[in-house]
Amino acid sequence: MNSRFELFVAMRHIKSRRRQTLLAVGAVTLAVAFTIISRASINGFEEVLLSIVFKMVPHVVISPKDGEDYIYLYRTLVESLQATSGVIAVSPMLISAATLSHEDGVQNVALCGTLPRELDRMSGIGSQSMLAGDLDSIQGGLRIVISKEVAEDLDLKLGDGLEASFPDAHSMNLVVCGIFDTGVEWDELAFVSLETAREFVGEGDVVTEIQVKLQDIYQADSLVARIRSQGYRADSWQRLFPEILRTIRLESVSNSLIMSLILIISAFGIANVMNMLVLEKTGEIGMLMSMGASSRQVLRLFLLESGILGLSGGLLGCLLGYVSSLYLNSLNLAFSSPAGQTINLPFLIGLQDLAAYLTFALILSLAAGLYPARRASRLDPIEAMRS
Amino acid sequence: MKHRIDEAGVWNNNHIIEIVNLFKVYRGGVDVKALDNINLVIEEGEFLAIVGPSGSGKSTLLNMIGLLDTPTSGKILLKGIDITQISADERARLRNRELGFVFQYHHLLPEFTALENVMMPMLIAGVKKEEARATALQFLEDVGLGDRINSRPNQLSGGQNQRVAVARALANHPSVVIGDELTGNLDTKTSDLIYDLLRKLNKKINQTFILVTHDTELAEKTDRILRIVDGKLVCEMRREGDRFVSTEVCQTAEAE
Ligand SMILES: Nc1ncnc2c1ncn2[C@@H]1O[C@H](COP(=O)(O)OP(=O)(O)OP(=O)(O)O)[C@@H](O)[C@H]1O
Ligand SMILES: [Mg+2]
Repeated sequence: MNSRFELFVAMRHIKSRRRQTLLAVGAVTLAVAFTIISRASINGFEEVLLSIVFKMVPHVVISPKDGEDYIYLYRTLVESLQATSGVIAVSPMLISAATLSHEDGVQNVALCGTLPRELDRMSGIGSQSMLAGDLDSIQGGLRIVISKEVAEDLDLKLGDGLEASFPDAHSMNLVVCGIFDTGVEWDELAFVSLETAREFVGEGDVVTEIQVKLQDIYQADSLVARIRSQGYRADSWQRLFPEILRTIRLESVSNSLIMSLILIISAFGIANVMNMLVLEKTGEIGMLMSMGASSRQVLRLFLLESGILGLSGGLLGCLLGYVSSLYLNSLNLAFSSPAGQTINLPFLIGLQDLAAYLTFALILSLAAGLYPARRASRLDPIEAMRS
Repeated sequence: MKHRIDEAGVWNNNHIIEIVNLFKVYRGGVDVKALDNINLVIEEGEFLAIVGPSGSGKSTLLNMIGLLDTPTSGKILLKGIDITQISADERARLRNRELGFVFQYHHLLPEFTALENVMMPMLIAGVKKEEARATALQFLEDVGLGDRINSRPNQLSGGQNQRVAVARALANHPSVVIGDELTGNLDTKTSDLIYDLLRKLNKKINQTFILVTHDTELAEKTDRILRIVDGKLVCEMRREGDRFVSTEVCQTAEAE
């Protein structure tokens, strides 16, 4: 396809009609820039959301093989997981339901036998969420770390004793050696050492699950597949906490809708300018046709012109949006999280975002130019020249 | 190209244009019969003038031949192709390759320079820019505007614009050049310059010229003069040496 002629005429229109060109390009530039900045803030928000939540939840949870209650050879599995690249923490857990009682109060919890160091690496509970005492001290045996909620319900303080019991379990007296508060509702958890938990359930060296934390959360699926091939059950965070994914997706969808709307409105700017152009140039289109320009050439001419307007607006918008996002990111804008912490909102924009919006702007401007271009291409040369 | 057989049953591809029973009626409040049963054969390499009073249908006829307008009924054959039957794309291609049109009102593109205006038909045809530029430059020099190539239409006089339009019509080396009053705004000297240029091309590359004119002096330099009145071809005169001889058509018309 040879479009020299079309390009020649289109470029001349663009250059000689400065005001309209500025209007069309400006509308697209602003819309694309605005869209990109808002995309950057959404990306940043998602990042914050993920990082808050993912500090506390495991990315992969491994459970016993089908038909078994426990993972028997968990030490081998833990070792092989720890040797896997991208794995940050591996936390074996022996979890059992338990009823905690103190004076008149009773409370059901999930009693988790755990390695405090690994648990801390997994969730930050030991280093960041302790209100009193410390997590490591559960290693001393017959000690328990409980949540702030349980402590309040059962009226427990550091150093108080409580009784843990459950049908089929060995009741035992435990001393409260720590109270934690994560800001989210983890009130039904209580931590003891692996040995204490084994004693409670009356089992040997076994665990009920292994939690894994990864450098890249999207590596979870491949790890899950590997573990499953060894016969264990395993689930990724996407399966375990579907609501996280849903929140992010919902956010993305509604955001994309609004952004698309803004871009579509800006495309009307191009449509308007192109319509005016075709009206103004009717006589000249007739002339071009009388010189032998085919309707296809005229169509291409005007599509090319709106494409060029859209592309320039898109490129300028990308530049403006990107620079603005970098600037906003450097401001370290802060907001408070639900848990009361102050969090910096980053502005993150990727090349694929820029490319996507640029393409979108281009497609929209071509669509916007389609109607005026078709109208121009269908003009009758002699009628057009008379106007 | 199709070779046709004429009435006498002889191969004849010399007829570059053949018009058969052509009518054009403009419908409106009152119907205007702009062309009323025109029959005409134009041979390749003819240099032809069409004269007639204002409103007689001269421009209408040129628009038909120039593939810009469609007849109400009748046939127009260009190089044997019935142009009333072909697709819009094919018409555009013929306009571009076979025809050069100079309008009664010059109709140049205002945003382009004289040079670019002359280049335009070549660019439409897909000719390379440098090549189109060289050709355009040559034609502008030929019409005496070698020094104004970078002026826009609004910086040129009416006559100068008309000459740009002539150069543009010639640019793509069309087989038929159609001119509607192309010397209307020119003084005798420039008019002669243009005539000499057209005549030279006519002799050299056998280009066919169809010129509508009110200028009797120009008309009498051509080979054949057609007179149109009220949409009818009423008189036809052919050059024989230095004189024009009226044909029968003309005599019957005059006798009426
Ligand atoms: N688009 C149109 N609609 C209606 N009538 C038209 C149209 N174009 C031309 N006519 C009529 O057709 C007739 C022939 O017009 P045309 O332009 O061919 O005349 P002309 O011989 O070129 O005249 P002039 O020498 O003044 O240019 C005129 O009566 C004119 O009014
Ligand atoms: Mg006329």
